[in-house]
Amino acid sequence: MTTVTAPADERVGRLELIWEERPGVLGWLTTVDHKRIGLLYLFATLAFFLAGGVEALLIRTQLAQPDSHVVSPGTFNELFTTHGVTMIFLAVIPMQIGAFGNYLVPLMIGARDMAFPRLNALSFWLFLASGCFIYAGVFMGLAPNAGWFDYVPLALREYSPGLNVDFYALGLIFNGVSSIAAAINLVVTIFKNRAPGMSLNRMPLFCFAILATSFSLLFALPPLTIDLVFLELQRLAGFHFFDVAHGGDPLLWQHLFWLFGHPEVYIIILPAFGIATSIIPTFARRKMIAFPLVALAELLVAFIGFGVWAHHMFAVGLPTIAVVFFAAASMMVVVPSTIQVFAWTLTVTMGRPQFKAPLLFIGGFIVFFVLGGLSGITFAAIPIDQATTDTYYVVAHFHFIIFGAAVFPLLGGMFYWFPKVTGRLYHEGLAQAGFWLTFVGTAATFFPMHVVGLLGMTRRIYTYSDDDGWSAYNLVETIGGYVLAAGLVLIALNLVWSRLRGAPSGRDPFSGGTLEWVTPSPPPHYNFAVIPRVSSPYPNWDAEDRAQDVRNLDRGARVFDDGHEAVASTVKDGYLDDVLEMPSESPWPIVVAACVTVLFVLVLTSHFLAATAFAGLAALALAAWHWQEPE
Amino acid sequence: MSDIVVPARPRSASPSGWWGMAAFVATEATLFAVLVGTYAYLRFQTVQWPPDGIAAPKVTLPIVLALVLAATSVPMALASAAARRGLARRASALAFAALVVQSVYFGIAVHQFASDLDRFTPQQDAYASIYYTLLGADHAHVAVGLLLNAWLLLRLATGLTRYRVVAVQAIAFYWHAVNVLTLLVTACVLSAAL
Repeated sequence: MTTVTAPADERVGRLELIWEERPGVLGWLTTVDHKRIGLLYLFATLAFFLAGGVEALLIRTQLAQPDSHVVSPGTFNELFTTHGVTMIFLAVIPMQIGAFGNYLVPLMIGARDMAFPRLNALSFWLFLASGCFIYAGVFMGLAPNAGWFDYVPLALREYSPGLNVDFYALGLIFNGVSSIAAAINLVVTIFKNRAPGMSLNRMPLFCFAILATSFSLLFALPPLTIDLVFLELQRLAGFHFFDVAHGGDPLLWQHLFWLFGHPEVYIIILPAFGIATSIIPTFARRKMIAFPLVALAELLVAFIGFGVWAHHMFAVGLPTIAVVFFAAASMMVVVPSTIQVFAWTLTVTMGRPQFKAPLLFIGGFIVFFVLGGLSGITFAAIPIDQATTDTYYVVAHFHFIIFGAAVFPLLGGMFYWFPKVTGRLYHEGLAQAGFWLTFVGTAATFFPMHVVGLLGMTRRIYTYSDDDGWSAYNLVETIGGYVLAAGLVLIALNLVWSRLRGAPSGRDPFSGGTLEWVTPSPPPHYNFAVIPRVSSPYPNWDAEDRAQDVRNLDRGARVFDDGHEAVASTVKDGYLDDVLEMPSESPWPIVVAACVTVLFVLVLTSHFLAATAFAGLAALALAAWHWQEPE
Repeated sequence: MSDIVVPARPRSASPSGWWGMAAFVATEATLFAVLVGTYAYLRFQTVQWPPDGIAAPKVTLPIVLALVLAATSVPMALASAAARRGLARRASALAFAALVVQSVYFGIAVHQFASDLDRFTPQQDAYASIYYTLLGADHAHVAVGLLLNAWLLLRLATGLTRYRVVAVQAIAFYWHAVNVLTLLVTACVLSAAL
């Protein structure tokens, strides 16, 4: 028993001093605070999202009318490739994992920071640098141009001699390092840093979703990295992996790419599930129905995701037995997905729902997820898949999923957690208008693509003739694209205006159930003055525990203000295991990231000896980093 | 659940650093699984493996080398146990013993790699490409392990802290993983001599 005599506000003041970071720009460059890093991720990913959005509008403008030449065919190739790469690797996944995961996971589990705060900073700086690396290529007129899945032999030196593909391959290897670091950090944070009392069965479903996503990243990124290393060894050093003449096989690229690529789809959708399961209980005013089943379904989706990759390759001539196996495996995904759809909809209908903007976005999410899921099932039917491969029907399907189902919860989540992050309320009326504009825009953009795909319009086509009969559909799609963009602009204006002029929100404007609503808005550097007591999956609805927190602060119990302290728990049961001294702000993560960036630039320009020198510098910087021990 | 329980007993659960290394090893193991999978994939596309003009790999030396490296898991495990009991000197001595053997292994392995390069180059065909990529990836992991051990010895020279105890545990874990991967890679590469 610690005996403490100081009053509560003195303790809070001490925590402020201990956890405070350097002010100004330097503070942001050396920060290890997960909330600041989350915001850095958010702003960086929003910038990339804007770039990817502009590329999408250019694509739609080019396709608005038949025989159009708004951009050149070469630029068009660069546009659709860069659009895909940007949205997947630089916008949506890092926004989910880096921004939402980083900001919210420690708050939801009652932790003071991530398990490895400095590694967290390194993840962000590597991510930002990898994005800038790829976009440096774009601005030098060397944007990736062989499609986002970059099939060989097109991507080989003989057919793509420029540096475009090298920017793609090296940029994604670079990006992968950052994602692996982030995934390791999230797994360990969720395992070890939960507030004492939060056994796994009391952990928020959002954290289950992020845990499943992080595990998927750990096992899905290595195939991609190896595939890209093979490609670069072949392009830069003349190895033979993909050319038949020397015993290689072009299908090797596709297998490895989709062994990553399909789990990647679930990596994109799982955090969206997590956001949905955060917003629904709050606005339906009841706990999630079938909580354990939903948690298991989230994990199961991630797991099955590794056994279905070849359904992207049904048209390449695989053996029948392989095709049938992957078709059956793909059908299995229906089971955990349907469990969740029913759990979400039943929770809403059996609660007392308030259809505020965040819940509306989740409604949109469910609509698009079901529609995209239904068209997804058709790909498990081999003949339909073979007939629709590489048509706009596929484009329609995955945009309903990746935009409708993955981005809608992100937009809903931005409104839902806006008061937490800023301490201000957003404008409800404008938010609902923003929802309807984006909803109508999304439907108008992507629904006609199903039809036009079945009519035979192929993917990545530069232009078409009026005789094809696709003109009206394409015009509607383009108009839809601009409506969608208007909706996004309205959402952005609302958030900016509310940040400046919104009414103060207080700690918990929506009566949310999870721990992030326990702490003030915006949360202090140390997140929680008292490590909260947890005895259910919705701890903020347990009034007695929250009253106990207040008494604990008065008594000085569970405050941990002897230093830069956080608690570690046991993995399964969440028993208090250890009190940890956490690292403070450090310049080394950004220095390591800078060395790695130079290394990649030197590899790109084939200066291998100099690149080795920078690898050595990065190693020295890492040694210096670990010289500073948090004691 | 009572409210203030800071355990007085020695810690029972594995620390975050150990879990971090576990997650890292999981992703690295996947990386090697993909490399070995590629080796098998390319092999079964080809009639002649290794192709004409490339001799089958030597068997005895790589097996002996891999077993010697695997044996360093013992001093590393003992070093980890010693560090947990607070015996800095003992942990250092064990890690140093391991480092000596690991360095000798690395020297011979690199020498072998270079002499292979004199006989055939990775640009020759798919067999040569995957052979060198697989071995190169393994040797790179050994090289990183050497750096980690050298860094560890430097730090242990000024005694043990909680941070360094976790470091010994995590680095020992890394070496166990590298040793197992080396055995697998060796078995995979030698399969061409069957």
